[in-house]
Amino acid sequence: MDAATAATAESTETPPVFAMRGVTKVYAMGEVEVHALRGVDLDLHDGEFAVLLGPSGSGKSTLLNILGGLDGPTDGLVTYRGRELSLGGDRALTRYRRRHVGFVFQFYNLIPSLTARENVALVTEIAGDPIAPEDALALVGLKYRLDHFPSQMSGGEQQRVAIARAIAKRPDVLLCDEPTGALDISTGIAVLGALEKVNSELGTTTAVITHNAAISAMADRVISLADGLITSDVRNSTKQPAATIEW
Amino acid sequence: MRALDRKLLRDLWNVRSQVLAIALVVSSGVALLVMAQGVFGSLLTTRDAYYARYAFADVFAGAKRVPNWVEERIAAIPGVKQVQTRVVVSVSLDVPDVSDPVNGRLISLPDRGRPALNDVALRRGRFLDPDRAEEALVGERFAEAHGLDLGDRLFAVINGRRQPLEIVGVALSPEYVYGIGPGELVPDPKHFGFLWMTRRHLATAFEMEGGFNDVALTLADRSPSVERAAIVELDAILDPYGGLGAIPRAEQTSNWYLQNELTQLQNMGLLVPLIFLAVATFLLNVVLRRTVAVQREQIAALKALGYSNIRLGVHYVQWAVVVVALGALLGIGAGLLLAEAMLGMYMEYFRFPLLVYKVSAAGILIAVGVSLAAATLGALGAVRSVVSLPPAEAMRPATPETFRVSLFERLGARRWLSQPARMVLRNLSRRPLRAVLSIVGIASAGAIMVVGWAMMDSMDELLEVQFNIIQRQDLSVSFFEPVERSAVHELAALPGVMQVEPTGAVAARLRNGHLQKQTAIQALAPDARLRRVVDVDYRAIQLDRPGLVLSTVLADQLQVEPGDMLVVEVMEAARPVREVVLTDTVDDLLGVTAYMEQESLQRLVRRDETVNGAMLRIDSLAEDRLYGLLKAMPAVAGVTLRSAALESIQTYMLDNMSMMMSVNLFFALVIAFGVIYNTARISLSETSRELASLRVIGFTRAEISSILLGELGVLTLAAIPLGLLLGYGMITGVMSAFESELFRLPVVVESSTFVVSAAAVLGSMAISAWTVRRKLHDLDLVAVLKTRE
Repeated sequence: MDAATAATAESTETPPVFAMRGVTKVYAMGEVEVHALRGVDLDLHDGEFAVLLGPSGSGKSTLLNILGGLDGPTDGLVTYRGRELSLGGDRALTRYRRRHVGFVFQFYNLIPSLTARENVALVTEIAGDPIAPEDALALVGLKYRLDHFPSQMSGGEQQRVAIARAIAKRPDVLLCDEPTGALDISTGIAVLGALEKVNSELGTTTAVITHNAAISAMADRVISLADGLITSDVRNSTKQPAATIEW
Repeated sequence: MRALDRKLLRDLWNVRSQVLAIALVVSSGVALLVMAQGVFGSLLTTRDAYYARYAFADVFAGAKRVPNWVEERIAAIPGVKQVQTRVVVSVSLDVPDVSDPVNGRLISLPDRGRPALNDVALRRGRFLDPDRAEEALVGERFAEAHGLDLGDRLFAVINGRRQPLEIVGVALSPEYVYGIGPGELVPDPKHFGFLWMTRRHLATAFEMEGGFNDVALTLADRSPSVERAAIVELDAILDPYGGLGAIPRAEQTSNWYLQNELTQLQNMGLLVPLIFLAVATFLLNVVLRRTVAVQREQIAALKALGYSNIRLGVHYVQWAVVVVALGALLGIGAGLLLAEAMLGMYMEYFRFPLLVYKVSAAGILIAVGVSLAAATLGALGAVRSVVSLPPAEAMRPATPETFRVSLFERLGARRWLSQPARMVLRNLSRRPLRAVLSIVGIASAGAIMVVGWAMMDSMDELLEVQFNIIQRQDLSVSFFEPVERSAVHELAALPGVMQVEPTGAVAARLRNGHLQKQTAIQALAPDARLRRVVDVDYRAIQLDRPGLVLSTVLADQLQVEPGDMLVVEVMEAARPVREVVLTDTVDDLLGVTAYMEQESLQRLVRRDETVNGAMLRIDSLAEDRLYGLLKAMPAVAGVTLRSAALESIQTYMLDNMSMMMSVNLFFALVIAFGVIYNTARISLSETSRELASLRVIGFTRAEISSILLGELGVLTLAAIPLGLLLGYGMITGVMSAFESELFRLPVVVESSTFVVSAAAVLGSMAISAWTVRRKLHDLDLVAVLKTRE
């Protein structure tokens, strides 16, 4: 029994949050067709902290975008809690992102004209049962930076604001695309610490994509991708605390 | 083609809609300039050529009857080069199949040869045969208005006798380029015409043998001092023969109107294009700054490859130059077409036998040069900040924009504002100058629209006041000779006449020290109801005190105020000279007039017969019969219809103003759209990343649209009241620039004008918003997250 079937077998106990079956994604880049995903099967479960590892071009960002409802598969099935994501079009996807998904990006994507608190409030104002912006920021250790604008904060602080913004709506899933990619090691570890805390305290299903293998040490599960296919899917027997990670 | 030039073309192509929007604003300015320059230059050159070729005179004078031998004395006035004496009479005309009253002026041509001055240009037919008494030349517009052809006949009613006239030619004269009849503002060729007859026959018909009643002369030197001296001498010579006072060319009616039009063209031809070019320069600067900011890393890379700062500077200057050049080319083309259309319209009202089409290349070059220079400066300013960075630093992303909590929020509004509303406010307050300039740009578009429509409002008000409050007669009758007041009873007895009021006017010169003015004093009955004098609030003024009432403009010219004394030189009858007190001034809208209560005027002139016309209110059912009866009365020289005057003014306004208005309106929309669309595109470009981020975290398209369009909305809503205010200010300025002896336009802006202008600005915003919203829908959410700003 290889790693992938082991993970699938385990999932029969509780239904997965996400289920992908035979997902392919083909981009037309001018006259060339790029096969970003070549038939991926994957389940993600409640409360899981998964790291998707792979070199650039492996298809991990495409996978994350499809999970997050930013993009649809060319072929195959993606379900979120049993409902098919590709149905319903843009309006349904927007509603899905709005209610269920928190995003964290490599370049933070904060709104420069809003303070930390206001960036978080941006989400809490449109969410059903949000965490107060101040509490969300306290969770990521930014209690004292509430009224700072992005230009007044370091990259790590900005990324933690982004995490606070992502989790403030109590999303069912937190999707992070290279959250430490633009950061040095010490600020990067502070950001990972924030993700860890959110996952353990709120129980938010978290998927982090990265090409930094060191980060996989803190995950429940490490999924490796290469050339549009899952090459391994391993469950960590012991999770290492974020603070002890080094690269 | 060099790689950098390819980059230039592709960069321009990528922002083609913005390039086009800016180029259109440039082209609007250039087009208006070329149009005004073209019309002005062509009219001026045409006028001068016409005046020179047909010997337009320098000084004009009328008199009652002057014996022919006096001509020699006039020729002997120092500085006089040539003299042309004539017989000129006003008659009423009988045109076959026309029931409306028609008036005309018969002007004599020499029995032999061409006139030395004020020659006529023959358009069709032939000159007069001196042996045939009935032959006449007829003015071109009159012929057109009545469909008259060579060989057609009409009748001049002279002393109740119908004198037949046979048309042998159609002509134009430099004296009647703008051919208006007495008391008219706008030529009305259906009701007034110019005809030329041989001197001998005209003199016979009007008992003017051996004499003349009109003289024109040219001066060897047209300097003001020589002109003034000649006029004084001429007046002295003509005085004993009922001289009506000589006037210089500048005051000659047709020339005066033409000059007035030229001056207006010159003024309007500069101001409005300048606004357009200023707005275009601003837009160019903003768009270019944005382009340079986006290309920061490219610039660094180019520098790293070895391109010099100067070469890169030139690259971006070329960017601006291409846009301006495109606009200039479009503008010159459109301007030439517009100039031709405008000239065509002018040629309808100002008649010339020739047209010298002339567009001053210098004017266009200056306009294009100025906009190129402004564009270049703007480009250099934009690129300087980037080229001054070392390549390595420029390759790193720019530090995040610094924001502050906006003043508005600090004043306490913060808690009421949603996060998107705060974004809008802070985006705007981060670049306050740009926001202000955008507002001013949009406002100027609104202002131009307000001015366009307010001109119409003012004209409407003028007509309403003039034709419903001041002049309430249906028709006015003028007599050949002054009659006693009792003579109007005869008119009252005619069938269909409901009300009659005598009118009188006495030619006079008003003097205050060295200031003097040639005019006519209008006699008014204290209880006049058909022709009234009104005050600022359009209430009738009772003329019950002896003394003069003057138009404010006239009082200002003579520097007199109510209570001051004026010298009045009556130029009729016994020509008494008296001191008269100025009792009041009136802000009337049309003409400059002096008024006096009729009995006081009669005492001043020392003559019983001071009535030379009458105002009638008539029963419209009886009008045709009444016209016939009036024409048959020997004393009646002419009949003028109020409705015809009103109609010709309205037609003129419709022709002239509606064309100007459409042009202005179109260009104002171009400005509004240009500014709003570019503002929208720039803020889309600046915030697309933020907006995409918001979309990713679950904001709907409508929600992010409202952020982007909210910014536009704030700018537009701020611009609208400013535009309306600016428009009001501009119309006040324009109206005082228009203020002339001819008319004063009241500053009237109907609320509908404000509403329509504001709606037009909002419409431009809606179109821009719609265009940009489509771009918002196409935002690539994934790509935007993968790139850094």
